[in-house]
Amino acid sequence: MKKNKPTIFAALWAAIVCLLLAHNAYLWIGKRISPDTDIMALLPVQQRDPVLQLSFTHMVDTAQQRALVLVGATDWSEAKRAADAYSEVLKLHADVLQTTAMTEQTQQDWLALFAAHRAVLLTTAQQKNLQERDATYWVESAQRALYSPFSGPKLGAWRDDPFGLFAGWLQERAQETPVRPRDGALFVADAAANGGRQYVLLSLTIQHPVFEMGTQQAVTKIFDQARAAALAVVPGAELITSGVILHAAAAGEQARGETWTIGLGSILGIILLMWVTFRSIKPILLIVLSIVIGCLGALSICWMLFDHIHLLTLVFGASLIGVAQDYGIFFLCHRLKADAQLDSTALLRRLMPSLALTLIAAIIGYAGLAFTPFPGLRSMAVFSALGLIFAWLTVVCWFPQLVSAQTLKGGRFARWYGATIWSSGKMNLGKWGLVLVLAAGVVAGILQLTTNDDIRLLQNSPPQLIADQIKLSRLLDAPTPVQFYLLRGNSEQQVLEREENLKQRLDPLVAQHKISGYQAISNWVPSEKTQRGNLALLQGKILSGPLNQLATQIGAEDTWSADTRKQMMDSGHILTVTQFMDSPASEPWKHLWLGQTADGYASIIALRGLAQSNLAVVQHAGDGLDGVQWVDKVGEISGVLGQYRHYMAWVVTCAYAIVFCLLFGRYRGATWRVLAPAAFASLITLAILGWTHHPVQLFHVLALMLLLGVGVDYGIFMQEKADDANKLSAAWLAIGLSAANTLLSFGLLALSHTPALQAFGVTMLIGIAMVWVIVPLFRKGDAVQSGKG
Amino acid sequence: MKKMLLIVCCVISSALVTTGSQADDKNPLVAQIQAMLAKPTTLCGRFDQTKQLSGMKKPLLSNGRFCVVNGKGVVWRTLQPFPSVLRLTRDEIVNYQGDKVAMRLDANQEPAVRMINNVMFSLLGGDLSQLDTLFVVDGKATATNWHATLTARQPGLAKAIGAVSLDGAAYVNTIHMDEASGDHTTIVFSAMQSGDKAMLPEDAALF
Repeated sequence: MKKNKPTIFAALWAAIVCLLLAHNAYLWIGKRISPDTDIMALLPVQQRDPVLQLSFTHMVDTAQQRALVLVGATDWSEAKRAADAYSEVLKLHADVLQTTAMTEQTQQDWLALFAAHRAVLLTTAQQKNLQERDATYWVESAQRALYSPFSGPKLGAWRDDPFGLFAGWLQERAQETPVRPRDGALFVADAAANGGRQYVLLSLTIQHPVFEMGTQQAVTKIFDQARAAALAVVPGAELITSGVILHAAAAGEQARGETWTIGLGSILGIILLMWVTFRSIKPILLIVLSIVIGCLGALSICWMLFDHIHLLTLVFGASLIGVAQDYGIFFLCHRLKADAQLDSTALLRRLMPSLALTLIAAIIGYAGLAFTPFPGLRSMAVFSALGLIFAWLTVVCWFPQLVSAQTLKGGRFARWYGATIWSSGKMNLGKWGLVLVLAAGVVAGILQLTTNDDIRLLQNSPPQLIADQIKLSRLLDAPTPVQFYLLRGNSEQQVLEREENLKQRLDPLVAQHKISGYQAISNWVPSEKTQRGNLALLQGKILSGPLNQLATQIGAEDTWSADTRKQMMDSGHILTVTQFMDSPASEPWKHLWLGQTADGYASIIALRGLAQSNLAVVQHAGDGLDGVQWVDKVGEISGVLGQYRHYMAWVVTCAYAIVFCLLFGRYRGATWRVLAPAAFASLITLAILGWTHHPVQLFHVLALMLLLGVGVDYGIFMQEKADDANKLSAAWLAIGLSAANTLLSFGLLALSHTPALQAFGVTMLIGIAMVWVIVPLFRKGDAVQSGKG
Repeated sequence: MKKMLLIVCCVISSALVTTGSQADDKNPLVAQIQAMLAKPTTLCGRFDQTKQLSGMKKPLLSNGRFCVVNGKGVVWRTLQPFPSVLRLTRDEIVNYQGDKVAMRLDANQEPAVRMINNVMFSLLGGDLSQLDTLFVVDGKATATNWHATLTARQPGLAKAIGAVSLDGAAYVNTIHMDEASGDHTTIVFSAMQSGDKAMLPEDAALF
C-alpha cells in the first residue's frame, strides 16, 4: 500500500502532463497564439488621474498607428521619382498601409470655414498693431498692397480683406508646419546649411494593430521592398522612416533573437555540464524534461489566467531554466553519492525538507516581482513561479520512479569536484584583517552607488532608427508626443482662455528660441472673449476711420465702405470648437482637443522644437496659472521607476526577514548561516556596481530579490548536509552544477541588448558567482567553530 | 504684400496638387507666337497698371519699370504712387521698401515661389510654351501681332487668377486679368528696350 503511493502520484502527474501537452498543442497549433510585443504593456497602469491618462493615450494613439516616410534627393524631381517608386510598392499593400492623400478639395474646404469667420480671427501681432498704430498706417498699408503687382490673385475679392488681416492670420497658421503641397505631393526641405535636400513626405496609416508581430513583419517587409524600389530608380535617394511600429518591430526582433541565443546557450551549457558530471544521457533528458514541463505548464496556466502573454515574459522563461533545474540536480547529485542500497523513494523522502524549503524560498523570491506595479513583471512572476512548481512536481513525482541507484555512474569530474569544497580554516589575525579590508572595500563601493531611473536608459532602439527619428523631427518641426501641457477647465471657453494665458507665457520662449512654436486648438479657434475682442478692435480701429479714409483716397463709390463694413461684420460670428472639429481643417489637430471628460473639459498644447536642455525652463512656463499642468511622460515613468526601485529595496529587505522566520523553525540558531551567503553576495554585488559606476536601477534591485531566492537554495543545501562528508560532497556538487547553470542562463542575460535584462543579468552574474564562492564559509561546524577553536 | 504673396503660394500650390501634365503636344498658336517674339536676353520697359476694383468709381493707376533677364529673373519697380521693388529669382522673391527688405520668400521653404516666378517670367516674356501645363492657351495671330487667352486648367488656379489675356507682337504689349470677384487689372508695357544697356545700374545691382 505504502509502496504504491508514489506510483499513483507518478501516474496522476503523467495524466496532468498529458493535459498540459494537449492544451499547449491547442494553443500553438489550434489557436496560433503569438506573444505581445507592446512595450507599453510592461509599464505601470496609472489610475491616479484619468484625464492625464486620457491626454496621453490621445497623443500616443494618434502617433502610434502612423508611420512617416521622407524620400529625399538633392533635386525635387529626383525625390519625386523615388517617392513615386516607393508609393507604387505601397499601393500593392493598401490593406496593410494606407497612404494619406491630400486633395485640393480638402484645402479649399478648410479655407472656407475660416473665411466665413475672418473678422474674429487676428494674430497677436495684429492685435498689437491695431492697438498701437494710427489710421494712416492702415490706410497706407492697404494701398501699398493694392498697388503692388501681386495683389490681384488672392482668396476672394480685394474688398473681402483690404487690410490683409485675414491673409496674415492664415500665413501664421501656415507657419505651424514646414510641409507644403507641391506637384500633388507633400514637400519639405532641409535648410540650405544642411545641404538643402528636398523631400517628399508620405504619411501612412497602418491598418492593423502595430504591436502584433504579424503586422510588424508585414510592414517591415513592405518598407524594405519600397526602399529597394526607390533606390533602384534613384540610387542616391535618402529614405527616412519613422513610426512606433519600427521601434516595436526592432524590440520584438531582438527579443526573439535573444530568446533563441540565450535560451539555446543556456540549454547547451546545462547539457554539457550534466554530461561531464554524470557521464550519461539519462540525467540530461530528465532535467530537460522537468524544465520543459515547467515551461509548458507555466504557459498553459498563464494563458488561462491572462489570456495573453508578453514576449519578455517568455524571455524570462528562458532564464527560468537556470533555477528549475536545481531540484533535479539536487536529487541526482544525492542519488550519485548515496548508498546504492538506498531506495530512490526513500532518498526522496530524506531530501524532501530541503526540496520543499528551496521551492518555497524561490517562490518567495519570485513573489517579490509580483508586488511591482508592472503588469509585465507580474506575469513574469506568475510564469516563473508556476514553472518552478511544475518542474518541482515533475522531479518529486517522476524522478524516484525513473532513477535508480544503477542509473548513474558518476564521472571523474564529479568525484574530483565533490572534493574541492573549501573552508576558511582556522581564523587568524591575517584572515580577520583580510575580512576587514574586504568589508571596507564593500562599504566604500556601496557609498559610491548612484541611482539613475531615466526611462531612456532602457531604450535600446537601433541607432539608425533613432537617428532617423531625430532627423525627421527636425525636418518636420514636429512636437514630441510625450511632453506637453494639459489644460483643464469647467467649460470649453475656460479651457480656451487658459490656453491663451499659457500662450502668453510661451511666446517669449519662442522669441528666445527655447521652443520653435506650439500647437493649440486656440490658435485656430480663439476663446469667445478673444474673438469678441478682435471684432471690437476691428470695428474700433479699422471699420470706423481707416476704412472711410481708404474709400476716399482710392475713390470708392459712396456705398463702398458701408457695404464693406457690413460684409466684414457678417463674417464676425463667433467660431466654435464644434464647427472647427466638424471641418476638415481640424484633421491634423484633433488630438489636441480632449473636449468633455469625466472631470470637466481638457485640451493639450504641444510644443515644437523642444530640446531637452531647455526642459527646465519650458516646463515651468505655466507655473501659477490655473488649470495648466505640465505633462512629462518620460519624467513620469522615470519617476515611477525610481519610486519602485526604492520600494523594491524595502521588499527585498523584508523578504530576508520573512525567509528568516520561515527557516527559523528548522535551523534555529544556524538560520543566519543559510541567509548570510545571499546577503553578503548582494552587498558585494552592490559594491562592485558602485566601484564600476553603474547607476542602480529598479532591475538591479529586482535581481537582488531573485538572488535571495537562489542563494537561499545553496544555503539550505549546505546546512542540511553539513554533518556527513559524503552528503556534503553531494550538496557541494549540486550547488556547483546549479550555480554554473544559473550563471550560464542569467549570465547570458548580461549579454542581452535589452538594458533592463542586461542590468538584471549583470547583477545575477556577480551575485551568483559570489554566493557560490562564499557559501562553504558559512557551513556549520566550519568557519565559526574553527574561528572559536 | 507679403501676406498676399503667401496666400498666392498657398492657393496656387494647392491648385497644382492635381495638375498633371495634360499639356497639348504642340499648340500651333503657341508655336506661331513663339516665332514672332524677339526673346532678348534682357528686356526692360515701362509699365502702366490700371486696376478696376468692383465698387470703385475710378480705376487705380500705378506705374514703374521692369526688367526681365533671361536665366536670372525679374525686377518689378513700382515708382508711383508707392515706391517698392519686387525681385524674383529662381530661389526667392524679395520685396524692398526703400533699402529695407520688407519680405523674403525662400523657394526652398515655399515651393510655390518657383512656380510663381516661372509664371511671371513667362507672362512678361510671352513664353507661352512654359505655361502650357498650367493653362489652356487659345487666341489668334496675324502676321504682325497676336492675342492669346489663358484659361487655367485647374479650378483652384482659375479661381485665384481668373482669366488672363495677352496682346503682343515681338514683345508682350498688354496683360489683362479678369478675376472672378469682378476686379480687373490691365498692365500696358511701353518703351521696351533690349540688350545690355537696357537695364539701369540700380536695377542691375539687384541681381
